[in-house]
Amino acid sequence: MKGLWRNAVRISQVLWYKDEQACVFCGEGHGPICLTCRMNYLRPELRRCTRCGKLIESGQLDCLDCLAGRGPKQLDQVTAWGHYSGGMKEFIQRIKFKSQPNLIREISRPFSDWAISQLPVVDGIVAVPMHMSRLAERGFNQAEVIASALHWELGLPILSGVERLESRSSQVLLSRQERLHNLTGAFNVRQPEDYQGKSVWLIDDVTTTGSTLEAVAEALRQCGTKEIYGLCLAAGLEKRLVPLSE
Amino acid sequence: MLFFLTLNKDYDVSFSPFQEKDKLDSRVISYLNVPLPLGIIEDVLERSLKRQLSNQGNPKKKPNEIKNQILNYLNNFEWDIQEIIWKEVNKDFCPDPSLELDQDRKNKNWDAFNQRVLGRQLSKGDLQVLARELRLKDEEIITFAQFNVEQGKAKWLPSVKQINRGWQCQRCGETDLEEWPSIYGSAATCGSCASIGVSTSLTVLYRDKRSLLEGPLNVSFRPHWVLTEAQQRASEQVDAFMKDTYTETALLWAACGAGKTEVCFPAAAWALNQGKSVLFAAPRQDVIHDIAPRLQRDFPDFTVQVLTGTNTVKFQAGGLVLATTHQVLRFWQAFDVIFMDEMDAFPYHGSRALEWGLKNALRQGGKLLYLTATPSQEGLNAVREGEMALIRLPARYHRNPLPVPIWIRSDILSEPNGCRGKWGKQISLLRRQGPVLVFVPKISLVNPWIESFKQTFPGWRIEGSYSSDSGRSIKIKNLKLGQYDIFVSTTILERGITLPGIQIVVLGADHPMFDERALVQMAGRVGRTRENPRGEVIFLSQKMTSAMKTAVQWIEEQNRYALDLGLID
Repeated sequence: MKGLWRNAVRISQVLWYKDEQACVFCGEGHGPICLTCRMNYLRPELRRCTRCGKLIESGQLDCLDCLAGRGPKQLDQVTAWGHYSGGMKEFIQRIKFKSQPNLIREISRPFSDWAISQLPVVDGIVAVPMHMSRLAERGFNQAEVIASALHWELGLPILSGVERLESRSSQVLLSRQERLHNLTGAFNVRQPEDYQGKSVWLIDDVTTTGSTLEAVAEALRQCGTKEIYGLCLAAGLEKRLVPLSE
Repeated sequence: MLFFLTLNKDYDVSFSPFQEKDKLDSRVISYLNVPLPLGIIEDVLERSLKRQLSNQGNPKKKPNEIKNQILNYLNNFEWDIQEIIWKEVNKDFCPDPSLELDQDRKNKNWDAFNQRVLGRQLSKGDLQVLARELRLKDEEIITFAQFNVEQGKAKWLPSVKQINRGWQCQRCGETDLEEWPSIYGSAATCGSCASIGVSTSLTVLYRDKRSLLEGPLNVSFRPHWVLTEAQQRASEQVDAFMKDTYTETALLWAACGAGKTEVCFPAAAWALNQGKSVLFAAPRQDVIHDIAPRLQRDFPDFTVQVLTGTNTVKFQAGGLVLATTHQVLRFWQAFDVIFMDEMDAFPYHGSRALEWGLKNALRQGGKLLYLTATPSQEGLNAVREGEMALIRLPARYHRNPLPVPIWIRSDILSEPNGCRGKWGKQISLLRRQGPVLVFVPKISLVNPWIESFKQTFPGWRIEGSYSSDSGRSIKIKNLKLGQYDIFVSTTILERGITLPGIQIVVLGADHPMFDERALVQMAGRVGRTRENPRGEVIFLSQKMTSAMKTAVQWIEEQNRYALDLGLID
């Protein structure tokens, strides 16, 4: 009888709290993203560098690198939802390296809402492609996963046909200068006419210097793409904003 | 990890992680240009095998037919990948791969690799860790692994397999998996064993079939203790269980602090000398780190593998393994004897994955002995139904009875507002007998109670800890040295720790967090040493719960049984 009662209590709790989802970044606060994590990772008080998407102080338009001409040039705007750190970084890495692409569902609504408030409506969404060999190993492209979430939420069509020609060395270990040159000519558009005069959002999971976005944008520009907006889940923080202790 | 499908000159279809001629089996004549996940390759193998059986009458047509059939099968999927074609292996260039591996075999790396992978099931990530530990390249490790597979000593298998319409993780047995669309169609990821590395239908396991021991050993077992009468009695029963051909599992139900681990050492020595591999497993690493030096001391010339999440060396050699139940997931049918300590403790208890892993780490016909002071309901049921033998060890070695908890009714416990009234006095009385360990049911109560005690007992050394406390290990070290007057703790100190002279108070003993097992374990911290064989256990709560009643009954029954057997004075 006691067990029965306990079960009844548990079931009613489940029903009652059905909508109470834990925060996807910290697993503790109110979901999908708790107030603390919103402040810590989404940083609504900071601007995004219009050229490379980096999080910058609200007084500026562009980051120091981009002001000095060291940023991407082919994109009309780049923006990122949050700062690539802590719980948000872990969340993205779970999707990518722990093969949990379904996790994107947990944030597709708030991310899409934010994206459409930041960028103009476009003809379609393009995901930054992965090289075939890496895609074959992982079985999915995280940028496509994000793109399909945006497609699902916002109804914007997905444009395909961009491919990555060579698997260049991973960007992670390269310097800024090396990154910008590492990718020149690494992307190709199979049917250029599909992109003639189009406006697109170019999607990736994370951006640091913007060089990957830049290389894809270059290929898209060559086929006559009119407007290109880079959109990422997360980006770095401008150096002068990083406290000395980090 | 992906594999190339191969066709050899006997028209057998197989696979290899390599496409380079010098790394392929010398009999291979063709291979597919695109590497594929093992799950898909297994499908193809199953089909071509069927085909071969039905085709035996006409062997001449085979090679091209097999090739086309496989291509047709694969092209049906319409994956968005490059065109799949068969490539021929250059026939002029045919080195014997066994020659090169013979050289490798002579070299230390090959030996070191083989000693460390016996009985293991390892993901690609695990193999990469092993590569780093042996200072080898990832590719060299995969070459070694592949050589063992070709020799039939090991096999590759998909980490997650499609079974009927569902999925099952091959590492932990989990069947409740997250399915997602991959470029190869449906794929699935296991969440249950993700903490030891990713396991999906696109990743693989290297499963080594060899035993940890090649044959009987000559192990010198030099115990630094003498078994008490109670232990001797239990030890003989453990020994009989080891040699009994019918019973496979047994439960050693011991009083807290009766020395149940040492009771198993003679049986472990016997098993090793018979050439049987032995595992001591426990759910938490504290217990493992506690047993390790004791085991090493009594088996002085023998290397014990100690495997926990925090251990820096992940791969070791030897037939005697000490591991947390998570690490046990990296073994497959490897042990002849398993001693499973604290079977009722978190995270093992209630984890399907860890239970499955432990059972599958046992070899066919092996022996599994569960050790606990507080058996789980399932354990007791299995004993009652005759599925499991029961061995009892009801008395501590100093022949004193287990301290029976005293209940003090109090209702000021939910809020730490000072130790007023009679139980504040109780604390000072307890302190005269030894340091006081105070258990609270929630982390959030630890700090408020530390403050409250500091106000009531100025000048006393008062500390506390909980699972996520970064200073935990230092504080516990100090606690063991008796450097605190009062120590406030959550259930992290409930088990597996001996604190000389300690006195116990359980605050809010009626909290649902404290079941009978937790209460018996906490009470069991008192009176464990010869110097301080007695002490007090106080349960403070507003009401007496059935868990509290059961806990007291268990302790009293244990004492009665010991007295009947003449094991306590």
